[in-house]
Amino acid sequence: MKKYILKRILTSLFTLLAILLVLFILMKLMPGSPFNDEKLNDDMRAALYAKYGLDQPVVVQFLKYVGGMLRGDLGVSYNISKNTPISQLIQTRLPISIQIGGMAVLLGAVVGLILGIIAALKRDTIWDTLATIISVIGVSVPSYVFALGLSYSFGFRLQWFPMLFTTTDITGSSVLPSISLSMFTMASIARFTRSEMLEVLDSDYMLLAESKGISGPALIFRHALRNALIPIITVLAPLIVDLMTGSLVVEKIFAIPGVGSLLVNAIQSNDYNVVISLSFIYSAMYIGIMLVVDILYGVIDPRIRLSKEGN
Amino acid sequence: MKNARSVLAFAMAAAMALTATGCGSTATADSGAAESTATGEASAESTEATEASSSALNVMLETPVQSLDPQVATDGTSFEVIADYTDGLMQMDAKGAAVPACAESYEVSEDGKTYTFHIREDANWSNGDPVTANDFVFGWQRAVDPATASEYAYMLSDIGQVVNAAEIIAGEKDVSELGVKAVDDKTLEVQLNVPVSYFLSLMYFPTYYPVNQAFYESCGDTFATSPETVLSNGAFTLTSYEPAATAFTLVKNDSYYDADKVQLAGLNYQVIQDSQQALMSYQTGALDITLVNGEQVDQVKDDPAFDSRGAGYLWYISPNMGSVPELANVNLRLAMTFALDREAICNDVLKDGSAATFTAVPPQFATGPDGSDFSADQTKFADSCAYDPEKAASYYETAKQELGVDSFEFDMIVDSDDAPQKVAQVVKEQLETTLPGLTINLVVEPKKQRVEDMQNGNFELGLTRWGPDYADPMTYLGMWTTGNSNNYGLWSNADYDAVIDRCSTGDLCTDPEGRWSAMYDAEKIVMDEAVIFPLYTQCNAEMINPNVTGIEFHPVALNRVYKNAVKAG
Repeated sequence: MKKYILKRILTSLFTLLAILLVLFILMKLMPGSPFNDEKLNDDMRAALYAKYGLDQPVVVQFLKYVGGMLRGDLGVSYNISKNTPISQLIQTRLPISIQIGGMAVLLGAVVGLILGIIAALKRDTIWDTLATIISVIGVSVPSYVFALGLSYSFGFRLQWFPMLFTTTDITGSSVLPSISLSMFTMASIARFTRSEMLEVLDSDYMLLAESKGISGPALIFRHALRNALIPIITVLAPLIVDLMTGSLVVEKIFAIPGVGSLLVNAIQSNDYNVVISLSFIYSAMYIGIMLVVDILYGVIDPRIRLSKEGN
Repeated sequence: MKNARSVLAFAMAAAMALTATGCGSTATADSGAAESTATGEASAESTEATEASSSALNVMLETPVQSLDPQVATDGTSFEVIADYTDGLMQMDAKGAAVPACAESYEVSEDGKTYTFHIREDANWSNGDPVTANDFVFGWQRAVDPATASEYAYMLSDIGQVVNAAEIIAGEKDVSELGVKAVDDKTLEVQLNVPVSYFLSLMYFPTYYPVNQAFYESCGDTFATSPETVLSNGAFTLTSYEPAATAFTLVKNDSYYDADKVQLAGLNYQVIQDSQQALMSYQTGALDITLVNGEQVDQVKDDPAFDSRGAGYLWYISPNMGSVPELANVNLRLAMTFALDREAICNDVLKDGSAATFTAVPPQFATGPDGSDFSADQTKFADSCAYDPEKAASYYETAKQELGVDSFEFDMIVDSDDAPQKVAQVVKEQLETTLPGLTINLVVEPKKQRVEDMQNGNFELGLTRWGPDYADPMTYLGMWTTGNSNNYGLWSNADYDAVIDRCSTGDLCTDPEGRWSAMYDAEKIVMDEAVIFPLYTQCNAEMINPNVTGIEFHPVALNRVYKNAVKAG
């Protein structure tokens, strides 16, 4: 198991380096430059290129960038917050996105599981139909529509929660964005849980367990849900990264100072360093979560653990 | 089945209950408003005790601040915030005229090339240091230092004509040779290459703001990225801020020399990028001032709090005369400019109060020696720019004959933002309807790409904008000189270049009236040749809390000044 994990970590590191290279090349290929303002003339643009080292050959730029990254230096922002080190920009924003994303994941996963289990257990009843309707709405309606709706009803009309993110009431002002973000996760998890549970419930070993006299919660949670969980975790993993790294639009609507809104602004203003850094962090988190998921598989399903140890 | 029915009934009852609460809550909106305002101020209060906590102003911003470094910032939002806590030598009064701020007095030499400013004895930074002449020398040297790569360095060179600024920017001279020196701690002497009639009005432009050298050096790379790394010498001090923050606060600066006049307890800024959220926040009372977009105007235009303010930007179409032979034909260009119904664009599409514009220099930002608005008369060039389909048709016929073709097809590049796209769509319709045989293809591009294409001459027609940098028509007229990087259409006219030369560095520098009338001559050439097709002067539609008075709005440099604002109640 240790050897397996070590191997996975090494592969991850190489993947990250490759991602960095690809990101760097993509940014260079992108049309426009960070310094295309109507007020800038050629001389001033040249001065800016020189200042940030963008006039050097791409290879030199890349090596310098990687060198900086290894020392923890992500470079500075060119546009959205001029000359600010990106690490400074991210360090206050990432926790906010992770917190709101985390709340959304938790909410989505828990409610989704419950909905899915109910739908599966009460198959073909009104409960099943209701759960399905909720899932279909959750999957098909974009999160920003929920965001606007929730903000209007619970923020503007009822005034139960703040309409905009505020640092004086972080928990309260995270509620509406978290709910809006969780809808898609909730719906997907509910659908997967339902179908996986149905498959498991129909299996022979469930029949056996039932005939052995196991019943109630033990039957459902120990025998049915545990077996249904593996595919669910596979689906959940990328969703977690998605939510943690901030939903671009929802952050914009609730004025959340997270990384999602930062990324959107950076892309729109060709702020190379910010885009590369955020995409890189996104990739790193994705790879990290996948690693955790791989390890989790082993914990949940002994068969996987054993077969890997055998290798 | 019975079970199913009861569930359905329950769900519907629940839904109705929810809707009912939703409607019923209107009455509680006011109390909620009071609450949210109260929390906003509580935060300001906790950072610094002020006796007038009921009057902190809650201000909406559309975009985050890009930089608090006065020599690096380039956008209106950053300028506004920097000016909240920094005073230059001069500041803007309510009408936009330059009035003494850090400088209590100044002298101009007879030849108009030497300015001597005397800095107030009671002007201090928030760390207790006095504001000295050296702070200005240091700030200005930073602005032209190639190491700073300030995008607004040209405010000192081309526009301010400070001695040696251009050479220093080009790397030919050392920053120490800049024509500005501290005669003593409180006396600043500035040398100019030529007399600059609007020089005093440049002093309120943040590029010219002072920077405390010792403090700057103690901050290292982190200068102007947090409340701890900025110093205030103005009406407010920054109390909470992070780079690209979505919310930040300032409180009244009690040690400000003019603190008696400042009535606001502070400013609470909130960045809101979604216009619906912004309007709703205003309606709950969480904001005192917010922008309204064109689609929301119909909803709020009868509200007494609704207002529209000139934002200074002239939007215009630039035809590429240099590389598109058809557009080099002046009759075709005149046909196009006469075919544009600018009033319809403003009234039916933008609806935010933007004003139809028929002059190359937009109105309401430049006042002449006699105090009148340079472009107040929008019919001055009616012979070459108006909405007149008949004239358009006749110029069009001439153009077709001269060029020997019956139909034209041009691409027009447009920003991907909402408003420009809508405007471009209408422009296309108007041109194609009035001038049969003309086809306009809209090419939507991200703004940075659009600007790059225009600067490289890689376009046929382009919808673009220009905001004034200083309160003089030259901020526009200077663009159309031969070889200027903003002369997108690659137009060249020796007579025009000669007039502009005389006005900016030549004999007319010392003759304000002569210069003023020469600038009209120059503008006439631009209009007669339809070098650009002016469309409209952008306005910002805003909602302003009726209890708030005294916010000063300007189309140039500092868009909003709060020093004299009052919030009642």
